[in-house]
Amino acid sequence: MASVADVPRQMIERGRDLALAPVRPFLPAGSVDEWGRDEHVLSALGPLFQLRWDTLVGGEQHLPARKGALLVTNDRRLSFSPLYTSWALARATGRPVRFVGHPDIAPFGPVLRRLGAILHDPVEVRGALRHGELVVLGAAPTRHPRHAGSVDVSMVGAAVLAGVSVHPVASMSSPIGRSARVQVGAAVRLRTKRRGPLAEVEIAEATQHHLQRQLDELGGVTTGMAPLDWLGEG
Amino acid sequence: MIGMRGQRLLVTGMGGELGSLVTSMLESEPWVGSIVGIDVDPPRRRLRRAEFHRVDPHDRERIVDIVTAFDPHVLVHLAVWEPDARAGTAVARRFTDAAAMSFFGAAGECRSLESIVTRSGIEVYGRGRHALTRPDESAPVRPTSEYGRMLTRLESTARQVADRAGVPVNTLRLAPVLGKHVPSPLGRLLRQPVVPFSLLADQAFTVVEVGDAARAFVAAAQRRLDQPVNVVGPGAITSLQALTRGRRLPIPLVGPEWGLARRLSHLVGAPIPEHVLEVLHRGRLADGSHARELLGFAPEVSTPEVIARLYEWESVVRVPPALRVVA
Repeated sequence: MASVADVPRQMIERGRDLALAPVRPFLPAGSVDEWGRDEHVLSALGPLFQLRWDTLVGGEQHLPARKGALLVTNDRRLSFSPLYTSWALARATGRPVRFVGHPDIAPFGPVLRRLGAILHDPVEVRGALRHGELVVLGAAPTRHPRHAGSVDVSMVGAAVLAGVSVHPVASMSSPIGRSARVQVGAAVRLRTKRRGPLAEVEIAEATQHHLQRQLDELGGVTTGMAPLDWLGEG
Repeated sequence: MIGMRGQRLLVTGMGGELGSLVTSMLESEPWVGSIVGIDVDPPRRRLRRAEFHRVDPHDRERIVDIVTAFDPHVLVHLAVWEPDARAGTAVARRFTDAAAMSFFGAAGECRSLESIVTRSGIEVYGRGRHALTRPDESAPVRPTSEYGRMLTRLESTARQVADRAGVPVNTLRLAPVLGKHVPSPLGRLLRQPVVPFSLLADQAFTVVEVGDAARAFVAAAQRRLDQPVNVVGPGAITSLQALTRGRRLPIPLVGPEWGLARRLSHLVGAPIPEHVLEVLHRGRLADGSHARELLGFAPEVSTPEVIARLYEWESVVRVPPALRVVA
């Protein structure tokens, strides 16, 4: 028999159940991984990402199947290329893809972490790579969409120490349209194997060089022929 | 790995839930000869082989007498008081510091001592600005809470004594330990009917189940490791996810009202110490992948499972008074 003392508790429980009923489906318990990335939030935001970036992905066969890899992409200012590159590659590969760089201040830091961001810290990046994660790193931001900025040597050093490959990833998006492209290149290999810190310096330079070449060859943000070109084909 | 039998083990903090669980597991290990335990509280479960001494950690003379007479091969130090678990922060700090000094000091006098295993926590890594999301054992120790600083001092004392005695010290850095009878400020808070959470920074954290933590200590006592090992449950969860899973009413807070929330929570019997507040605001994760390779064991119960079990435990059951029949 319920006592008088149980009445407030029952009222709280009923109120609580009513208040939580609409939000509970959006907060599954096991959706956050060990790095704070929330698969459920990402899939909920998927349509919004899709609305902003209609991304075409190519070259994903270059990525290792299980091991980690550092993916260096070019970064036009305010293009958020690491964000859409990681999202598009996660969809293409079916693996969680993280990106480097979130401000460690609420609410931006926690929100970006839920989307897969990790700190811009070589130790943090090395930890993720050692655990077989794919990590997208933006090169130094540039104003021109077809220029590859310099690559952070300390981050490449993290990849070297973790024993994973470094891939250039050319990305391009329209500032006003939805079209975007992400092209993964083959792993950067040095002609001469280095044992010391020269390895990361040379891999960083080679990655920037490969990335620039990829951007030069990439074409526009869309692929295929424009309707006017069909007329020229006869 | 120990090759001979009949090892003498000294377990400090044997009276607590974790201490008594570790001891009961050690009792069934074939390599363990005799076990002596010391604590300020009596053991919480029945122990068959272990000998228990109820001693205050400040009573150094008696501790030295008991420890030197026993002359242990392995010291398993579990005498750590988490703030607001069984005692307030000031008392917890005093007891933990006194216990570390007394037990490590006494163990340092023992000729047979071969190894020290001590409890610590992932709170030692701290959660300051730009702190690593998932620090491994090589990450720098930068505590940002009182509990973290207590554990850092404990690790330092253990290291000093171990260096002088020339023995290895294995520090197990545990995630917040939750279990049925474990007094934990985090577990107590999450079980309240109404719980505050940080609206702007609802970050992921990890915990470890008490059984997994105990197995890690047994594995560590068997080995002669000379380094720290993180012991964390797989997976992670955020405060809001935990609360919705437990059907608790989450109260979103953004900043200044946390002071009031802490006071109110203290009044209703669930104080929120600094290190738990840090979990709610900044999250707390750690890389526990080295445990399997170093200890031959890794926690199996995942963080979401531990949280689910937290809410499955029976609450206080009211038993109606029996009718008294007057003859």
